[in-house]
Amino acid sequence: MKLFAQRALGPVTLVLLGLTIWLGIWVTPPDAVQGNLARLLYVHPAVATVALYISYGTATVASALYLWKRTRSMTLDRIAEAAVEVSLVFIVLTLITGSIWGRPAWGVWWVWDARLTSTAILGVLALGCLALRRANDDPVVRARRSAVFVIISAINVPIDHYSVEWWKTLHQGATVFNPGGGLKVHGSMMWTLLLSFVSFTMAFLWLLRARYRLSERQYQNTERALQAALDQRRAEVNS
Amino acid sequence: MATVEPAFDVAPVKAPASPSRSRRRSILVLLVLVAVIVVLLAQGLLHSLNYFETVDQAYQTKASIGTKVIRLEGLVKPGTVVRTSVGASFEITGSKTKYYVVAHGSPPQLFRANIPVVVVGHFLSATSSTFDSNQILVKHSATYIAAHPNRVKAPNGSVR
Repeated sequence: MKLFAQRALGPVTLVLLGLTIWLGIWVTPPDAVQGNLARLLYVHPAVATVALYISYGTATVASALYLWKRTRSMTLDRIAEAAVEVSLVFIVLTLITGSIWGRPAWGVWWVWDARLTSTAILGVLALGCLALRRANDDPVVRARRSAVFVIISAINVPIDHYSVEWWKTLHQGATVFNPGGGLKVHGSMMWTLLLSFVSFTMAFLWLLRARYRLSERQYQNTERALQAALDQRRAEVNS
Repeated sequence: MATVEPAFDVAPVKAPASPSRSRRRSILVLLVLVAVIVVLLAQGLLHSLNYFETVDQAYQTKASIGTKVIRLEGLVKPGTVVRTSVGASFEITGSKTKYYVVAHGSPPQLFRANIPVVVVGHFLSATSSTFDSNQILVKHSATYIAAHPNRVKAPNGSVR
């Protein structure tokens, strides 16, 4: 059953993404103000949600569990690393889709308002985390420093989320998770928006699993190489 | 005579302390990171934590604003939009007052009456109600409503 779920993850993700695109482009109506521009609603908010809360959230939880002695394991470190990498991909997608939306809607590709700046900073922090990991050779030191860094940098996530409420920004307020609690979207547009959240979350899980398996194989290869070197040395000593 | 195997300890050993090279690289990465974040903050948040001033705020602090370049936010008043050869002119309103905007350059695709905009520019003088703008940014809402919610598709696919 577990194996089936793992194998089905990719195809199910592709089907859901395809369904989201089909509904978003051909079924949902244009928006009263933005017209067809609003179809980016089925990509940009979901990608941003996955980037900030789901991916970076996973990395933060895994890092916190790694630092807690009772749950410490290299598996958690590998999950955190994979989640940060996937988060970076989604942050970049967030900035790109936001720019594509911003140019015709606002009239500019980019503005230095609090929302856009804090999202860009989160991208730099994710990149910094990956650079920090590569700067450390010792896996234990690398895991500890990386976990501390991820937890500290996660402070930027609530700042990013509330930036549209705390400060005056050109970026509009939240359509979902807003202070009013309600979804500010009409009919089929709402269902397609909700589906996009599911689709992109599945895409995150798919990418996370693939990246985790890759780092696990890298670890196993390193272990195998070490074991082979030890065996070779042992044979040299015994001969 | 039995051969004696030489002692060969392959038991796991504790990892050596973090070498100074790794530490130096980590510090270097952190320094570069701090520098990039400071640049981003300086560019974005520190200069304009609040991206614009509303029409009402500008009304209250008009004397101190003078002819400084600011970003002014307000609602485009219906019936005042006039397309000109260089751009557009219109009035933007707050709850207390309104200003006349002369904008240079083509407005964004979403620009229309009754939509919030941020205009970049300056007042002609400290006492003037005319705002000379070189850029219009549209600040659309987070609400999405179908363009024609009452329209339904007929069985033959046509929209009525």
